[in-house]
Amino acid sequence: MSGFRLTLKAPLAARVDASSLLPAALAGANVADVAARSLPFGTGTALLGDLFAVEATEQDGLVISGDRRLDHVGAGMTAGEVRIEGSVGAAAGAGMSGGRLTISGDAGDGLAAGLSGGRIEVFGNAGDRVGGPQPGERQGMRGGVVSIAGSVGDGLGARLRGGLILVGGNAGTCAADGLLAGTLAIAGRLGPGAGRGMKRGTVLVATAPDALAPGFIEAGPQDFIALKLLARRVPDLAALFGGQLSGRAVRLVGNRLAGGEGEILVLN
Amino acid sequence: MSAPAPLIINGVEIRDSFAEAFPMAGTRLIITADTPRWAHTAAASLTGFATSVIGCGCEAAIEREIPAAETPDGRPGYAVLIFAMSLKDLKKIVPLRAGQCVLTSPTSALYAGLQGGAAVPLGKALRYFGDGHQISKNLGGSRIWRIPVMEGEFVCDEIVGSTTAAVGGGNFLILARSRPAALAAAEAAVAAMGQVRGAIMPFPGGVVRSGSKVGSKYAGLIASSNEAYCPTLRGIAKTALPAEVESVLEIVIDGLSEGEVADSMRAGITAVCGLGAAGGVVAVDAGNYGGNLGPFHFKLHQLMAPVSGATPEAGR
Repeated sequence: MSGFRLTLKAPLAARVDASSLLPAALAGANVADVAARSLPFGTGTALLGDLFAVEATEQDGLVISGDRRLDHVGAGMTAGEVRIEGSVGAAAGAGMSGGRLTISGDAGDGLAAGLSGGRIEVFGNAGDRVGGPQPGERQGMRGGVVSIAGSVGDGLGARLRGGLILVGGNAGTCAADGLLAGTLAIAGRLGPGAGRGMKRGTVLVATAPDALAPGFIEAGPQDFIALKLLARRVPDLAALFGGQLSGRAVRLVGNRLAGGEGEILVLN
Repeated sequence: MSAPAPLIINGVEIRDSFAEAFPMAGTRLIITADTPRWAHTAAASLTGFATSVIGCGCEAAIEREIPAAETPDGRPGYAVLIFAMSLKDLKKIVPLRAGQCVLTSPTSALYAGLQGGAAVPLGKALRYFGDGHQISKNLGGSRIWRIPVMEGEFVCDEIVGSTTAAVGGGNFLILARSRPAALAAAEAAVAAMGQVRGAIMPFPGGVVRSGSKVGSKYAGLIASSNEAYCPTLRGIAKTALPAEVESVLEIVIDGLSEGEVADSMRAGITAVCGLGAAGGVVAVDAGNYGGNLGPFHFKLHQLMAPVSGATPEAGR
């Protein structure tokens, strides 16, 4: 026995905090132990076994049924793997420092908030504030990789401090707000208002943004050797933009209103 | 106890001697550029004036050309090896040379060619040239630096790994009937040794004509001409040369490990023996200092035993 499959018995009737459902936390437990654990459920608690059918699996890690009321899945994970079959609620992967979280459906708001390591893959869309700060924190995600196949909501990468966020679809308004360092890559369109208060860091976009926040200056086109390098060292990045990066991009520098020297690279 | 049997390969005497080598700190850098020409230019500049630690502070040379498909950024490249007498020296000399010779070279980029061991700074030191406009990216498991330059951007890895198991001073001497014969044999050896990865021949074209002995009659000079192998001093000084030898060339080898130095020496001596007596080669010897200079002793008979088929003598 190496892992568990947790299958929802019925759609959740209230929000559940799933942050305790981590591979390390359940390691060594048996099915009865796992089923007997309690989870925050609405304003109270519920036994895990009342919500989920628990089954031991040969494969390592956890496989959990998704539900849009299932919050904080994989939050705080340091190692191991959690796979979600379906969609999840808010704060998935928040504060993760290692391991791998895979979500086959959509993720709610606050995905990867405060992420410092590990990898999150979302095959659907994600909500607002992907990679932003956790409540009470001043800085957003500072390491790790987040890959979202679909689109994301507003506030992508707010106060991002490091790491890489890949968005296969579009990004909503006000992305890269106060971005400090790290990399955002958006294959679709970058919504209006991006880059407000941006200090450093890089936003890679396939097409010219609709309307950036005021304070960006175009430095012109350039053949960036660094992009060729990253395309080979980070295959995800190249794949996001069709398999390869030519290296050619127009560089927009900002946000100068904040004295920042971040960049938005518009790939040609 | 009888004298050891002579080892003769294709008419070339392999003398019962040994090359005496010493530990070094070393690393590998990969230089790329838009064209092979400019990658080579940067690599040649980086490894210039790096024949011997005696006068250059380091020993360095191009290890091999790397096809574009195999380099970190998909452009033509060269791998170079650089060695110093200590890790401290290596950490000083690598960023110094990288800053003067690669950062300055058009279209170049500089990457780590060795992982593990103590970190030697590349971009970690060079980034300050960007005067605050430098950009770092920590993706794919390693940090790179982008330093704005007039031509565009200079890209380099933050650090390169190193090894203190490197070996410097592997060598062998080609004793030939004529100067052209010695040169031809040395060229053949260098060509063969160029196929061995992890080792370089730091002298000009891989060959040194001024093999040295330790010390000098002049105060302050730590190395001087090795008169025992100077054909024009036969009769004046104690000589190691038979009457038919008119010219001697030496090949010095540095490697990232003892095994790579041995492989390189074997490849070189085999190539020399391939030319044989018919090519004007009389003997192959090696430079040593009585075993007092370094702990690595590359015994020629043992080294060439797999080639000659002879049973090597028991350890000296």
